[in-house]
Amino acid sequence: MSPLRCFLRTPEAVAGAILLAALIAMALSAALLFPGDPQAIAGPALLPPFQDWSLPLGTDRLGRDVLAELFHGARTSLAVGLAAAAAALAIGSVVGTLAGFAGGLVDEVLMRITDAFQTVPGFLLALAFVSVVGPSLGIVVIAIALGTWPGPARVARAEVLSIRERDYVAGARVIGMHPLAIAFREVLPNALPPVLAMSSVIVAAAILTEAALSFLGLGDPNRVTWGGMIAEGRAVLRTAPFLSIVPGIALVLTVLGVYLAGEGIVETTAVRRGLS
Amino acid sequence: MSLLTVSNLTKSYRCGSKTIAAVDDVSFHIDPGETLALAGPSGSGKSTIARLVLRLIEPDAGRIEFEGNDFLALSGAALRARRTRLQMVFQDPLAAFNPRATVARVLDDPLRIHGIAARAERPRRIAALLERVGLTADVAPRAIHEISGGQRQRVAIARAIATKPSLIVLDEAVSALDVSVRGQILELLLDLQRQERIAYVFISHDLGVVRAIAHRVVLLEGGQIAESGDARTVIDAPQSAIGKALVAAAPRLNRIRP
Amino acid sequence: MTALASIRDLTVTYRRDGNEVAALKTINLDIVAGERLAIIGESGSGKSTLALAIAGLMPRSSRIEGRVDWLLPSSPSSGAKAPLGGRDIGFVFQDPSASLDPVMTVGKQIAEVAYTHLGLTWPQAYAKAKSLLERVRLPDPDSALQAFPHQLSGGQKQRIAIAAAIAAGPKLLIADEATSALDTILQAEIVALIRRLVAEDGMTLLFISHDIALAAELAERIAVFRHGELLELGMTAQIVGAPTQAYTRTLLDAHIGLDAAPLLNRAGLDA
Repeated sequence: MSPLRCFLRTPEAVAGAILLAALIAMALSAALLFPGDPQAIAGPALLPPFQDWSLPLGTDRLGRDVLAELFHGARTSLAVGLAAAAAALAIGSVVGTLAGFAGGLVDEVLMRITDAFQTVPGFLLALAFVSVVGPSLGIVVIAIALGTWPGPARVARAEVLSIRERDYVAGARVIGMHPLAIAFREVLPNALPPVLAMSSVIVAAAILTEAALSFLGLGDPNRVTWGGMIAEGRAVLRTAPFLSIVPGIALVLTVLGVYLAGEGIVETTAVRRGLS
Repeated sequence: MSLLTVSNLTKSYRCGSKTIAAVDDVSFHIDPGETLALAGPSGSGKSTIARLVLRLIEPDAGRIEFEGNDFLALSGAALRARRTRLQMVFQDPLAAFNPRATVARVLDDPLRIHGIAARAERPRRIAALLERVGLTADVAPRAIHEISGGQRQRVAIARAIATKPSLIVLDEAVSALDVSVRGQILELLLDLQRQERIAYVFISHDLGVVRAIAHRVVLLEGGQIAESGDARTVIDAPQSAIGKALVAAAPRLNRIRP
Repeated sequence: MTALASIRDLTVTYRRDGNEVAALKTINLDIVAGERLAIIGESGSGKSTLALAIAGLMPRSSRIEGRVDWLLPSSPSSGAKAPLGGRDIGFVFQDPSASLDPVMTVGKQIAEVAYTHLGLTWPQAYAKAKSLLERVRLPDPDSALQAFPHQLSGGQKQRIAIAAAIAAGPKLLIADEATSALDTILQAEIVALIRRLVAEDGMTLLFISHDIALAAELAERIAVFRHGELLELGMTAQIVGAPTQAYTRTLLDAHIGLDAAPLLNRAGLDA
């Protein structure tokens, strides 16, 4: 059975895939469908949804097109979520592999650093980092990754501790391979599957953290974000609740989609491993 | 002069509060082109000796002299360079290779690491190695898990001889193979020994195989040498208790044969 | 001579990556009540599939055709009634570490079988477990009851796996490469143990192995399998002394015993 067909066997995975595909389509088509600046004024302020079909989801307090903002916000959410998760997984795998493979003092030092990062709540760390360095897309990505990498690092280290006792690692030493080459060519690729299984949780958490930072006004001010939209709508929550509800629903569906698709991938790899 | 001289080798492990001597004051030597078998029941320390000799683990005490040099004094790049002369073949050829590797990559590694052949020349060298161990060059692109157990062990031998070693440690290298394949692999090992004068440390619990291919045997029990000498002399008339027990336990077809 | 099980036209196919792979091809075989039958074959011969199919342990992804008819004296409506794994069939696997539960005491694992299949109370089941540990000659059975599998050696674990397999008094004991992971001395001990237990309890033994010499020492009859087919079946002396198939001859010749002619050409070194 092909991996894709295997993946699409469970209804959860199908739902997750559809949600994610819709999100990616939104992000990719944002510039095509709404070529102008999404933060430009498009009509009268606080126009409710489904009134004017040129502005289907209405406008916000400043008269900006909510649908255009939603599409452009998808780009930010997805970009930040994926970039932060990728950075966290990369840092975590490298640190975990080095700690587990080297052992001894290197392991002690790296794992105590990991402890230090893990004991500080990730959101607080991101908040402090962005407040000090200043909000921009890259800084937000780094801030989120800083609080997230210890998890993957621990999983990678645990996996490496078991892999380094395998015969093929001994075999690589016997042929005279350099220890760093053994760590990154022989050990790391085989330690990755359980680390990658965490990626859906990490992406979802990163998207939520980004939204929370934006909600607090610490997102990139030059970009539309869903968190920023919710914050915008908060001031008029009683009179125009849709301004907060629409991006809120988008956020919920995105996180749900990432979770479901991630579960599907884990199931697929588990089934395939069980078959072989 | 002997190729490898092991003197008073000792290695113990701490297990809770107890200290267990896995290898206890073991000494032996191997001449060039000779097969020395280390035989004994599980837990007798034979695999620990193999790993000590290959510097995969470090001894608590003792000396290892290889090709006239103090092998234990080497470290870093000097040790990695010297490893070309001292190779190993593992029991389970599937576990001995990176599960993601192809045959070509497995054989490319030693050639690349030690600069034995330039990149352009390596595919030809890999093909020659495969042919040397009785395989054809068309297995090179295949994944390690796709080929049969016997083919895998041939690839393991090809990798071991890629760096032109003078000594190969064979850790139960034929124990996991089908019997019909086992004979062919033993023949291949003997042929390599005749052609290249490679010495073997042959680790096994099967005295029948030891008797058939080893020059000398060291029988181990509880990390200590129980008995050693000419392989056929020792196995045909063992003096130690463990030697007698191993011989008595070996299955024999001629007890049934009319 | 009554058949405990008669296997008729048994064909087993696995589906792998969309392809059907036949693991067993129209096997016909009678297992005689009370005999020691060895199934011999190399990897891919289908010998383990046969053991699993007889014990009803095949994975759901496999397709089974043909029949296995049972004649179990224990079941009241004897005849075509399917046997119950654990009660009527005891199974010993190659790797005892994998077949024993690592977080359950050895005593509980054996007692559980007796409790489930024999309707004993827990104290009775534990007493039964202790007597079984004595029967498999485990040193100090009292402390072994409380031990966890990782505290025991490989040979001891296999003794415990055998004790659990015979706890419910099965009619058929299947040992699938049960000694292959052990060294020669432990292998001989476990074979002797199996032989004694089978004789004492009047069990039928199905001994699955790749080692024809080992099987010949234990079994009365030998069935030689290759590529999913039953090549040859006969009394041990006939299979070992006068095999009809060339492949059986190859297996016999490949055995390197203590009396085998040395492969080593000593002149080659001395010259």
